[in-house]
Amino acid sequence: MTPREWLVTLVLVLPLIGVAAAAATPSALLSRVMTGMAALTALAALTLATVALLEPTHRVLGRWIVVDPAGGIIVGVIACVGVASAFVSPQFLSMRRGSLFQAGRADRIYWATFFAFWAVLLAVPLAGNLGAAWLAIEATTAASALLVGFSGRARALEAGWKYLILTSLGLGVALLGILMLESAAGGGGIETLTWRTLPHASLDPDVAVVAYVLLLAGLAAKIGWAPVHNWLPDAHSEAPAPVSALLSAALLPAVLLVAWRSQQALAPTIGVRTSGGVLVGFGLVSLAVAVPFLWQSQAWKRLLAYSSLEHMGVIALGVGFGGTLALAGVAIHVVGHALAKALGFYAATPLLAHEPRASGHGVGGIGTTQPALGVSLGVSLGALAGLPPSPLFVSEVLIVAGGFQVGRPWAAGAAAILLALGFLGLAHALIDTVIGKPRGRDRHPALGLRAVTTMTIVVVPLLLALTVAALWLPDSAIVQGLIRGLG
Amino acid sequence: MSGIAWTLVALAIGVIVVRRRSIAVALVTAQAFVLAGAALTEGTSADDVVAATALGVRGVVLAALFLFLVRRTRETRPVPVGVAPLARAAAAVTLALTLIWLVPPFGLDTHEAEQATLSLVALGLVTAAMRRATLFQVLGIVLVENGLALAALSLPGEPSLAIEIGVAVDLLLVALVAGVFHERIFAEFGAGDTAALRSLRDS
Repeated sequence: MTPREWLVTLVLVLPLIGVAAAAATPSALLSRVMTGMAALTALAALTLATVALLEPTHRVLGRWIVVDPAGGIIVGVIACVGVASAFVSPQFLSMRRGSLFQAGRADRIYWATFFAFWAVLLAVPLAGNLGAAWLAIEATTAASALLVGFSGRARALEAGWKYLILTSLGLGVALLGILMLESAAGGGGIETLTWRTLPHASLDPDVAVVAYVLLLAGLAAKIGWAPVHNWLPDAHSEAPAPVSALLSAALLPAVLLVAWRSQQALAPTIGVRTSGGVLVGFGLVSLAVAVPFLWQSQAWKRLLAYSSLEHMGVIALGVGFGGTLALAGVAIHVVGHALAKALGFYAATPLLAHEPRASGHGVGGIGTTQPALGVSLGVSLGALAGLPPSPLFVSEVLIVAGGFQVGRPWAAGAAAILLALGFLGLAHALIDTVIGKPRGRDRHPALGLRAVTTMTIVVVPLLLALTVAALWLPDSAIVQGLIRGLG
Repeated sequence: MSGIAWTLVALAIGVIVVRRRSIAVALVTAQAFVLAGAALTEGTSADDVVAATALGVRGVVLAALFLFLVRRTRETRPVPVGVAPLARAAAAVTLALTLIWLVPPFGLDTHEAEQATLSLVALGLVTAAMRRATLFQVLGIVLVENGLALAALSLPGEPSLAIEIGVAVDLLLVALVAGVFHERIFAEFGAGDTAALRSLRDS
């Protein structure tokens, strides 16, 4: 094995050791040991991501493992969000009231499931073939559904059940598409489905189109693209805040990467216009469905969930357009969305402690009643809205410009209008949440605020650095690596 | 393979129309054994034997899990029927025929295997969409996976054993988690009825 392959192995094994540690560690040391394991896992994953991005032309293209710039970005995002979620989890666990599991074992099961979810999540962008990627995605469903329903409340049970059933059925449809591809290629087992060989497979174009549509429709159910997004607002709003951050900022783009790789692998057979057009279609529909909900007064986490629908639509547009501008926009958007969205979900813990009615209603004037929390909510929502100098403003401009660059002016124009409408909705929510009229009367101390304030101090310069990087990125070797794909 | 394929479809139609959970569990278990038998009798290599064993073990473990859940969550009366059995069967057959009409031949060993695969996926989707009982929705997922197992057995060339075993393990995990939810939903609402799960709605 090469050093990179060893590093991949380490990245996948460390969180599994975390699962074992969750089972074996004495209760008094549980939080400390688990956050320590999270730091180790993140260190290994960030090293791998850095290596993949610093040398974008030096790829690993194995049967079971790939390391490339696109995977590097997603691994880096999963590492950052994972470790941050682990660090805020003890605060969440100390505040929880009930659980799906027996009280004495609940914390241990939370950590074991968290690390199991993290392990399979890290495997998704590193999977060297479509079959293995599908297995990893399906495995994320089982682990994350338990975390979604972790509180055991009726609403969490409903959200977890919907998530489990809808995404499992969707992934069943995706697997049908994968089997059709393997069959149409004349069999050949796993070698047929590797990212390096699939672009060169001899496929009947008609079968390939049907298989591709089934594959994307199935993955769409997991990514949360409209119109198969029904589970997304429920699961994101009812899951524990650290898990919501992992679901939105890490899981969705990781699965989207598999959709994108499938598009790149099948484009030689079915054509770039057709394969990209399906992604653009999902992107526009997702934006159109998300915008009306962004205009409504929503509970904080539900608002963030609908924002996820919007942003996954934006990323779909970017990968559907292709080209240097759009793909540079995608790279910036994935990272910027992860930072801003994770901060927003982490801020939900002190927000719900401060104003309990925020679990079911829109909130107002938090900047007045709890200024530090107001700043965190404002940074998150401002960045997600695309308020300059947010990197998401630059990435959305790049993606729309990318649509014009590749000759899709109508789609780019429609996207620009929908993005402007989405911006107005989120800007209104931003004003209302931070400097609007305070609504709730029943206010308490914002427990866990210190960790969120520290994260805000870290996230703000990272977001600004990302905005600067966006200006340099379109001409970089990283974007050339993204365009080249794995074929 | 033709007889096996249509036996699987007939058993799946049974799952759509029957009222009792235990009968539906028996039907999907029978499907698993039919698939395992087909893998054994038509297989030519050691990998086929392993695939057959994996299918058989999967079927036994799922049956044990589902029957355990049925016993633990005894219903005083069955979950009310949302859509009449004949209407469910008609919807499933319509979706199956539409899929068969839309999807071109994609290279499985026989045309019947392709049609049965598409039919089983359609029947599974309709079962999950139209049956209100939580356990039946999970059985819908199992029907889809049984259809995909049929396709995997009918692929040209050697199957990818690692993927087949991985799919079986993933399905067991999903069923296990669904079992945890089913029990808790039953405890919370007094029935495994998804009609009770309707508090999270946006206008």
